[in-house]
Amino acid sequence: MGKQLFYILFLSIILSLGVNQFHPNAIPVVGEWRDLQTGEGPIIPPSAQEGDPRFVSVDEAVAEFGRGKAHFIDARPPEEFECGTIPHSVNVPFDNLPESGVDKYIDSSLGNMEKTALIVVFCSGEECDLSLHLARNMQQYGYTNLLIFFGGAREWEKFEMPMERRRECAN
Amino acid sequence: MRQLINNDWLTIMFRFALGGVFIYASIYKIADPSSFALSIWYYHMAPGNVINLMALILPWMELLCGLALIAGIWYRGAIFWVTIMLVIFIAALTSAVSRGLSIDCGCFKQGGAGTTAAWRSLLLDIGLFVAAMQLWLSRSTRWMLSQN
Repeated sequence: MGKQLFYILFLSIILSLGVNQFHPNAIPVVGEWRDLQTGEGPIIPPSAQEGDPRFVSVDEAVAEFGRGKAHFIDARPPEEFECGTIPHSVNVPFDNLPESGVDKYIDSSLGNMEKTALIVVFCSGEECDLSLHLARNMQQYGYTNLLIFFGGAREWEKFEMPMERRRECAN
Repeated sequence: MRQLINNDWLTIMFRFALGGVFIYASIYKIADPSSFALSIWYYHMAPGNVINLMALILPWMELLCGLALIAGIWYRGAIFWVTIMLVIFIAALTSAVSRGLSIDCGCFKQGGAGTTAAWRSLLLDIGLFVAAMQLWLSRSTRWMLSQN
């Protein structure tokens, strides 16, 4: 059986590396992925693109929270928002964005606030990209002062910042 | 019990089920390795510099093992690798679910996998693991291209 294990592994390595040379969606063998455990600096997801709103660290999000000028927008579904979020944040679930009239939906969800208002968009944490998608939509519809806190509610809680909970949840 | 485990029909059914799932799962990963790499990254379990290598090699392991199971070539080796992969997948999913990673936010594929989907995947993997155990224990060698 030892030989069979080796054959399968060896063939997989040869085929994967060989095909990757000619693959239209080839990737580098050693990628540059940020380790997620440090908590230092802003978390920038691999899906971030040039022109996206700026990503901020938990320190900067906390500072903006403390200054009290920024509006915090939670992009998660209501059931997650209710389980625990950054205090006073507004829930604009990205999944609920309508097919058309997105601009009006966002404007009314935010109480028609100024397009130049400072807004920090977040969701649950590093594995969640709803904040990025919502921020891109908001950017497209004229909001100019956007920040993305990609560490989200989980990093906020990890750094022992207060949470606003509307109901008790399992996690 | 032994008779059931050695049953030719049960064995061939599990070979096709397990092999089919592994082949099916490998196709999109081979076609789009960067999306699969992103999925691995979201689990926060693998070191950053080995993520791409895993995203390249794992799908080919899945494909070859799936083919080997169905064809009955390198059969014991394929069951072994399939079992190892299933243990890794079950551990990763259990860890993700227990850490409360909400995989329901369009993170893994467009439209979102969903926390419930994470549970479903976990249950599917456990089911596949049971099938792999049956294949491991079964002495049936019927309908195999190679008898070892």
